[in-house]
Amino acid sequence: MTIGAAAAVGTAALLYCFPLFHVVSLDQAEQSSAAAEFDPVAFVEKFWTDQLIPGAAQATDAAELLAIVKENPEAARQAHGRSVGLGHVYYYFVAGSGRIVSVEKNRVGLSLRDGHEKAQVSLEAGNIFGNAVRDGTGLLDVNDFANSRDFNALSAEINGRIERHVLPTLRDNAAVGKTVRFVGCAEIMDEQTDLDPLPIVPFIVEMP
Amino acid sequence: MNRVSFRALFPLLLFLLIPLTGCGGGSSTATDETPKIAVIISNLNNPWFVVLGDAAKERASELGYDVVVFDSQDDSAKEAAHFDNVIASGYAAVLLNPTDADGSIANVRRAKEAGVPVFCMDREINATDAAVSQILSDNYSGCVALGQYFVKQMGESGKYVELLGLVGDNNTWNRSKGFHSVVDRYPDLKMVAQQSADFSREKAFDAMETILQANPDIDAVFCGNDTMAMGAHRALVAAEKDQQVKVFGFDGADEVVKSIAEGKILATAMQFPKLIARTAAESADRYLDGDRDFR
Repeated sequence: MTIGAAAAVGTAALLYCFPLFHVVSLDQAEQSSAAAEFDPVAFVEKFWTDQLIPGAAQATDAAELLAIVKENPEAARQAHGRSVGLGHVYYYFVAGSGRIVSVEKNRVGLSLRDGHEKAQVSLEAGNIFGNAVRDGTGLLDVNDFANSRDFNALSAEINGRIERHVLPTLRDNAAVGKTVRFVGCAEIMDEQTDLDPLPIVPFIVEMP
Repeated sequence: MNRVSFRALFPLLLFLLIPLTGCGGGSSTATDETPKIAVIISNLNNPWFVVLGDAAKERASELGYDVVVFDSQDDSAKEAAHFDNVIASGYAAVLLNPTDADGSIANVRRAKEAGVPVFCMDREINATDAAVSQILSDNYSGCVALGQYFVKQMGESGKYVELLGLVGDNNTWNRSKGFHSVVDRYPDLKMVAQQSADFSREKAFDAMETILQANPDIDAVFCGNDTMAMGAHRALVAAEKDQQVKVFGFDGADEVVKSIAEGKILATAMQFPKLIARTAAESADRYLDGDRDFR
């Protein structure tokens, strides 16, 4: 074989193993562009109406949860808690009804038991941060989203929607002695410090 | 992604002679019988990534693999070359710290098509059908917490600068958005400059120097990683403004933790690179053992 032929064979083999371009399937290309087009506002609008509000029936009773967590935190985590990833934070999906015992700038304290004057839970009433509602109900799975940016955008939009549409009812009408029915999510990192009272981010607030 | 340049440099005759051994830096403990794992790191100039790479190598070695560490030097083309090497050389798996959330996708897909599973560490790619798993910190939540601390330290008012990381890294935007989700609620906290310094100490130094000329009376700087925080702090020291300007970073790097203890840099958010790396190595081992559930 001449040198030229050998070079041609070598070049052909090289290009076969290391092609200059790759053809990607339309699905792959669409997935990339889909990721760029994620609309958290539209997603949360649909999620809120179709899943979150109807899913409220699945929440654990807040008073029962508090009792279990105080008695056996590990059992509470196993039975009712949700954790995303490798962290030590657990989220709980809770519902209940209580009497307002304190009203502060950013939270409203509720007693869940008759005759109990100390707040056992507090409903967050100021700026909402964190992932409690996104991760606490178990209705959203990080693996269903193209990337963490989209997943984080959900938290921002859910929290913003709570601030705009849920909290005004609480802030405008809260007064000591009134009854509140709530559904929301709580985040517990440390059972020693996070239960007195248990802070809850509410997404349903009803004050009859 | 331009791979033509690499192909053009690769001599024809070498193709006829080789297969490839590990290149791009790092050590290996190869024997012919032991399965090999490649650890491909975005940039080994950053001490945080050195910890990530070393921890991945250590754990994979403990699990019985021969491990080679590759340095992509923040270059998607270099990363592609490493993948060419890895695929051709019969590596069993790749522990990848991607250079770019979009630019690295093709590399991971090539490996997958070649039967080489990829496990992303610390950074993600914008595809859910390529890597077996992607392990990263919750950068958004970390910077929400940092943002809350920032507001408290600043007394809810003041001028600040933000230095961003690599714009192709989702971590950059998760951190920035987490920070701004808090800080932007306070109208008396004003961002007077925002610039990318690519997670680089030197670029952060240069950026901070330049920004200080236009904005000499800032009160704080938020840096998207600790390496940039060190660079920014050095610029502030040089300008004799280190006592006036609070510096915030992200990573929990040893040098910044030490700086905080010395009263220099004010705060950082802790990450756990060793946990990320070990989890990736263990996931690869599980996968090679037949496990397919990584949700």
